[in-house]
Amino acid sequence: MRAIDIFRKHKDEVTRLWTESVFKTYPLETTGFLRTKQDPFGNPVGHMTKEAAAALYDAVIGESVDIEDTRKALDRFIKLRAVQKFTPSQGLGVFSLMKPLLRTHVLPELLIKKKLHDYLEAESRLDSLTLLAFDMYVKDREILAESRITEIRNQYAQLARWAQRLNAASPLAVEDQGAEAEMHSTEGQGSV
Amino acid sequence: MAKLPTPQALMSSRPAFPDKAWLDIKPEFAPGSYCYPAKKETMELLHMPNPHDWDPSAEDWNLPDNWEKILCDAFEERLEKHRSLKLFMDICVRCGACADKCHFFLGTNDPKNMPVLRAELLRSLYRRDHAMLGKLLGKRIGARSWDKEVVKELFYYAYQCTECRRCSLFCPYGIDTAEITAIVRELLHEVGLGIHWIMDPVKNCSFTGNHLGIQPHSFKEIVEMLADDCETVTGIRPKTPFNEKGHEILFITPSGDVFADPGIYTFMGYLLLFHELDLDYTFSTYASEGGNFGSFTTFNMAKKLNAKMYAEAERLGVKWILGGECGHMWRVINQYMGTYNGPAPDNMVTPVSPFTGTVFKNAASTKMVHIAEFTADLIQHDKLNLDPSRNDHIITTFHDSCNPARAMGLLDEPRYVLKAVCNNFVEMPENTIREQTFCCGAGSGLNTEEIMELRMRSGMPRGNALRYVQQKYGVNHMACVCAIDRATLPPLANYWAPGVTVSGLHELVANALVMKGESKRTMDLRQEDLPNVAEDDDAAQGEGQ
Ligand code: SF4
Ligand code: SF4
Repeated sequence: MRAIDIFRKHKDEVTRLWTESVFKTYPLETTGFLRTKQDPFGNPVGHMTKEAAAALYDAVIGESVDIEDTRKALDRFIKLRAVQKFTPSQGLGVFSLMKPLLRTHVLPELLIKKKLHDYLEAESRLDSLTLLAFDMYVKDREILAESRITEIRNQYAQLARWAQRLNAASPLAVEDQGAEAEMHSTEGQGSV
Repeated sequence: MAKLPTPQALMSSRPAFPDKAWLDIKPEFAPGSYCYPAKKETMELLHMPNPHDWDPSAEDWNLPDNWEKILCDAFEERLEKHRSLKLFMDICVRCGACADKCHFFLGTNDPKNMPVLRAELLRSLYRRDHAMLGKLLGKRIGARSWDKEVVKELFYYAYQCTECRRCSLFCPYGIDTAEITAIVRELLHEVGLGIHWIMDPVKNCSFTGNHLGIQPHSFKEIVEMLADDCETVTGIRPKTPFNEKGHEILFITPSGDVFADPGIYTFMGYLLLFHELDLDYTFSTYASEGGNFGSFTTFNMAKKLNAKMYAEAERLGVKWILGGECGHMWRVINQYMGTYNGPAPDNMVTPVSPFTGTVFKNAASTKMVHIAEFTADLIQHDKLNLDPSRNDHIITTFHDSCNPARAMGLLDEPRYVLKAVCNNFVEMPENTIREQTFCCGAGSGLNTEEIMELRMRSGMPRGNALRYVQQKYGVNHMACVCAIDRATLPPLANYWAPGVTVSGLHELVANALVMKGESKRTMDLRQEDLPNVAEDDDAAQGEGQ
């Protein structure tokens, strides 16, 4: 039996257990819901996690090698972990939770079949995937920070144009200040 | 040396079985998940009770000495005043049908964001004083006393509910958790607790008429700049009538449409449409705000801010009011305006479209018509010359804003308009639209940047559904009829479904509108090139017009 076949055989079990351990990072009262409700829109966190589990496992065992495909399959899940109330290590640490599962459920059989090398390769791939996830995570946090700035700018977009126009139209410093003062007096206020 | 923890140890954010019951686990005020507090001066200017300086992340919130009595009395009074509240406190059977329907719960997985438990925070206090068993058995049946931690918790969760009412749709008893949240916010205001993002617009609206506090002359100038932009795009400069007496219609829209990007393009859409119709209307600088952040504060504040609409309609002598694309504005109008400010002034009549003769009987009481209804009626009577192919580069979906969808049933009109002006329209999944729509995650005054992180969580169910249609059907645009949405959906889309743009409905209407005497359209209202303009007839058309 080839190593990949042994890995494939354990896919359902390992992905299920990994999904469970991700669910366990949420409060106890919500785990049952995450586990049982199947609707992809009614239980998006459950759905994203299951999607990520399958993609992660396939990438780890060398089933899917296209990095773009993997990135796409993990994207939603990483975006989620990046905004939920976790420390960065908790957010991404879920990838490391795959390792003990592989060691318990797949490694013994591979050892019997003398396929340690294949196993070590899989673990290395997991490390690479964790690094890939790290890049994605940081990018998502950057988007978040940028959004805050863009939003402030957008809220006053028209006002800023108006103030600039006043400045341009008038050579008088006094009036310039008038426009600016009005701008400033509105700082931090909602416009909806 | 400390031992390096294993990944498993690092990950275990909770013990296998918590040592405390859910009600006893206290929220953590981490940056990004709470809003900044209202300023003391703002609260003083508005005569709000017990204004004081405080910081949500601090241990001591500087509550007034007799805070417990104030809250007990205020709660008592609200129970007396709102029979619905008393009913909601009594009849919940904890069936859990609402539990997984809230976008905050789905995005945060925090059990206290289940609507049933959110309400339970208040209900536990109710039980102590008002339920016989609670008095006898206390904590064993989930009754508890007021303490300062409870106040903090109420604050934390009352500002993690967008009052969207999705949960109430699934409750067999129709318990409206949004109303419970509204009451909790009222109670917190009694001890001087409010948020900056809501109270500052309230102050500005009280003093100058709109959320940014822009004075009448400047407001008018800003609108005129938008009319200039309309001219750049279409060759036609629409009129901008302000504060004129004797017109048939007063037009009121949220001021976000005048100040904020991309709301301004929707506003330009209104201007062009009205010009093309030669609508007999006026704007008002006094009633220059359709939005009502008072409705996220207290019922009295909502009433005060809303009063300007009828006052101005009376002063200007209009027959009825046409309202712009807004969400909560319409909830206030449909659900509360009659009680707050009604009946409408005598000079007002049941709205009739001057172009189609359609009588808006649904507005017989409020005398206010939503622009989506108005335009849908025009299109149905073939009163507009539309060229939807101008929007052919767009594959759009429609986001039902919570309030128009659930509080006024405005479901089909905007879709009808959208389909008339765009050839490519795709619905998001069934359980995320129409009455079941998922909130943008930042309504009810939570559209502030300091909680962007929280907003990306609470908006995730919406973002997730959008992402689905983006990947499956190539959707690249989302239309909506709410000014808060126009502000909150762009960052949400940018995070969960990057590449999807957001606009109001009337931006797309005006892009498709073929106006009498217009120059050839080569760009849309955002002054971006229209990709479907045929090059060859460029010159000919330009001269011909
Ligand atoms: S659905 Fe209604 S009755 Fe059931 S738990 Fe929720 S609020 Fe209570
Ligand atoms: S009203 Fe909306 S935000 Fe509030 S509890 Fe219900 S579903 Fe959640």
